Amino acid sequence: MNAKQVHKFVGRYLEATECSILEKSPAHYTVKLSPQADRELTNRPYYWSFVDRVGAEPETMSFLFVTDKDKYEASLQAKTAMEEKIEPQQQDSQAAAADAALARSFGFINGSINAPRIPREELYFGSRKLEQLFEAAKSNGSFVYLFQEPDKRGASPFQSTAYTAWLGVNMKVEFACDRKREEIHSFGVSLATGHCIDGFHERLLKAKLTPRLPANVHVTKNGISFGKAQTIVEQQLERKLKTYDYTWATEAAKRLEEELERIQTYYEPLIGHALDENKPAIQEQYEQRKAEIRWQYEPRVTASAINCGIFHMEGIE
Amino acid sequence: MTFDNSPQTAADPSQAVSKRKLHPHVDLQVDRSWFDELQQRIGKNGPWDDWTLYQLAMEAEEAKRVESFEELQCLKTLPAVEPMPHQISTASKVLHEMGGRAILADEVGLGKTIEAGLVLKEYMVRGLVRRALILVPASLVLQWVRELNQKFGISAVAQKKEHTWGYDVVVASIDTAKRDPHRERVLGTDYDLIIIDEAHKLKNKKTTNYQFATQLRKKYCLLLTATPIQNDLDELYNLITLLKPGQLGGQSEFAANFVVDKRLPKNEDQLQEALSTVMIRNRRGDGGIHFTRRFVKNIPLSLSPEEKALYDAVTGFVKERYDESGGDMSSMLSLVTLQREVCSSRDAVFLTLVNLFKKTSEDSPIRPKIWELVEKIKGIKANTKAEKAMELVKEMNEKVIIFTEYRATQEYLLQFFRSHDMMAVPYRGGMNRGKKDWMMDLFRGRAQVLIATEAGGEGINLQFCHHMINFDLPWNPMRVEQRIGRVHRLGQTEDVRIYNLCTLGTIEEHIVNLLHEKINLFELVIGELDHILERFEGGDSLEQRLAKALLESGNDQDLQRQLSMLGSSISQIREEVKSTGSNPYAPKPDLLIRTDRLGTEVNP
Repeated sequence: MNAKQVHKFVGRYLEATECSILEKSPAHYTVKLSPQADRELTNRPYYWSFVDRVGAEPETMSFLFVTDKDKYEASLQAKTAMEEKIEPQQQDSQAAAADAALARSFGFINGSINAPRIPREELYFGSRKLEQLFEAAKSNGSFVYLFQEPDKRGASPFQSTAYTAWLGVNMKVEFACDRKREEIHSFGVSLATGHCIDGFHERLLKAKLTPRLPANVHVTKNGISFGKAQTIVEQQLERKLKTYDYTWATEAAKRLEEELERIQTYYEPLIGHALDENKPAIQEQYEQRKAEIRWQYEPRVTASAINCGIFHMEGIE
Repeated sequence: MTFDNSPQTAADPSQAVSKRKLHPHVDLQVDRSWFDELQQRIGKNGPWDDWTLYQLAMEAEEAKRVESFEELQCLKTLPAVEPMPHQISTASKVLHEMGGRAILADEVGLGKTIEAGLVLKEYMVRGLVRRALILVPASLVLQWVRELNQKFGISAVAQKKEHTWGYDVVVASIDTAKRDPHRERVLGTDYDLIIIDEAHKLKNKKTTNYQFATQLRKKYCLLLTATPIQNDLDELYNLITLLKPGQLGGQSEFAANFVVDKRLPKNEDQLQEALSTVMIRNRRGDGGIHFTRRFVKNIPLSLSPEEKALYDAVTGFVKERYDESGGDMSSMLSLVTLQREVCSSRDAVFLTLVNLFKKTSEDSPIRPKIWELVEKIKGIKANTKAEKAMELVKEMNEKVIIFTEYRATQEYLLQFFRSHDMMAVPYRGGMNRGKKDWMMDLFRGRAQVLIATEAGGEGINLQFCHHMINFDLPWNPMRVEQRIGRVHRLGQTEDVRIYNLCTLGTIEEHIVNLLHEKINLFELVIGELDHILERFEGGDSLEQRLAKALLESGNDQDLQRQLSMLGSSISQIREEVKSTGSNPYAPKPDLLIRTDRLGTEVNP
């Protein structure tokens, strides 16, 4: 994710969670969070449990989210340079002396001491705040129930359009041993026919979706159960994964064997020569090392859902 | 939802997970919890999430996806650090060829911490490490925490209370970790990654630290040390046993196959091969690792008549006190300081004199003598050194860092520079973190000059500046080295220029002479000084010896003689260290050079 993508991502998150953007540029947002976003982003569980218990009006925090540090700083500098030009040192000399005196006793003082503090956060790919935004998006974007908005043109108000319900799920597949790579697969299963599509998410992105059932629409009766649809997804995934190259796993299994042999050559003579009273301790250590090596090298493939939902799409498929 | 793949949980698959075979070596595990939750929500008719957030969640996952086994993903996420090529290649080697268990044995100053940080970050980005434990000497705990947080964006926590063990990434000292009540918590945890810094301290098998380390449960493990083979081969064997027992065979096989004498390896090629899979050693001379040069210039200055008068008066005063005390050294050290301070600034002496005055009783005969000195101070109107420093700074017309030993001199210089319309900012040990960072920012930005009293401690990395003025010199060579280390380090692209201001006819002249000519301090390789001082300082520090020589010598010639004796004993050690590497007791000089080659060398 580059700075531009981050910027767009943050903007969409703020909008979706109904935060009020006080100021923005292509490099930053100054924003007053909505209660929902505040709960997710500010790490204030105690405050929120207080608000919830007492029923008080919540006071949400404001942030300065900088999405492109270099650009933002450059614009700041340009701004201060401008300001300096506009008001050249016409400060009251007495006020200046007072400031200097204060500065001597307290160090630097921000002139606008009464203005609310707006913490600044750098949002770049890999930063903790952005990671928090990612998590927030995920925790509130996991399960959806949506309808495609019908194409208005040419639709007769007296005709009802047939819709099909789909089970859609985005899955993350992890291929891991001591190393790892990942893939993301998106499946959709028609609940009417059991037809399964790969790349379902892309298809959803092309459609316009709404949480409300549009007018003049009827949903076709489901032909298969949810459970059946879920099985179809898993079968589809398995079929796909079986065609993959598993050289990496074979190699990892080989490394695993070698490592096990290696510690065997170390521990077996050690146990053999040890005093009886020491044997259990060494044996235990040996078992522990074996467990560690399996943990480290054992090849495995795991699949889990990123998010999923029921999608009602135009047409019968 | 992620799979917790610790050794215990891997054995009992929960019900929501289905398992089937994909390949003779691999099972596919599918987590079904999503489906249960979806059904529940359908049953209850909600609540349903927002479509935009649904898309964003997917986009976030796509951005975070680990595309390939090989590429270092973490590099994209680290704006605060720019690793050197050898650090990157070391990290990839650990990740891709060594299965995440390695000894990082770079020479001092090449950035082992960065390498370890890269490995840790990469594993975290890949979701292979969540829980990590970093064991370091107590004095380095905070520094590690800061580096991991600032440079790598890893929320590392310094272990303070027992509950801190609950955090994912904990930095602790091994001496704390091995003690109750911590011991049980630590040994009861499966760590995805354990990093042990200064691992050569673990080399002895019989110590409690070593035994504690063998009991730790870990998936990946990094041992950091600059001196993997300090004394004998057994110690190297012990370190490797921590990582990969059996890598060099059993103890007896190892002895039979590789050891002639404690310090003499045999079958070197095989040993080297066996080591290359667990150890990486980057050396300063390797390709791609480049330190710029240091140029040192002493700038001799004659004191003004007033300054000279003060210096002589103070010297007389110190000698008198020393004679009165009958050769008691302990109270004298502070008096010697007076002499050094005169060479720095009148402000510095003045402050010390005032304090001394306050300490003496009202009827003491010393009081009027102190007043005399103060009168002399009043007579001084200009500071020869400060004027020279100003001249130098103007000449360079680039960023300069000026080091002084004294707060009072620092204050004076700040004023002096300001009164000449030059922006200078202070830096000292007593400032809190925030203020230090702020001063650094100012120096990086508008200020041309930084005036610092403290060189130790991390966080003051000034690669963007390559001029340094030693306004006065510490007597402890390590501190001089620390000063230089602030600017002359990896990442410095320019040759570094160091100027020593040195007043003639004073003790300062002797000190500069000793450090520069005899120890050749300014041209030493980074890290070399450690070895020299370690051997030199049998009890008394160099500082103390200097003070003693100074006080005991009757006249200048005598002093000269004593100092040159000190100097030559140091240069002798230096020669020895040079010829034997780090091991003073090596039977043959060439051996250590050979063992030094044993690790794999990485040429990026």
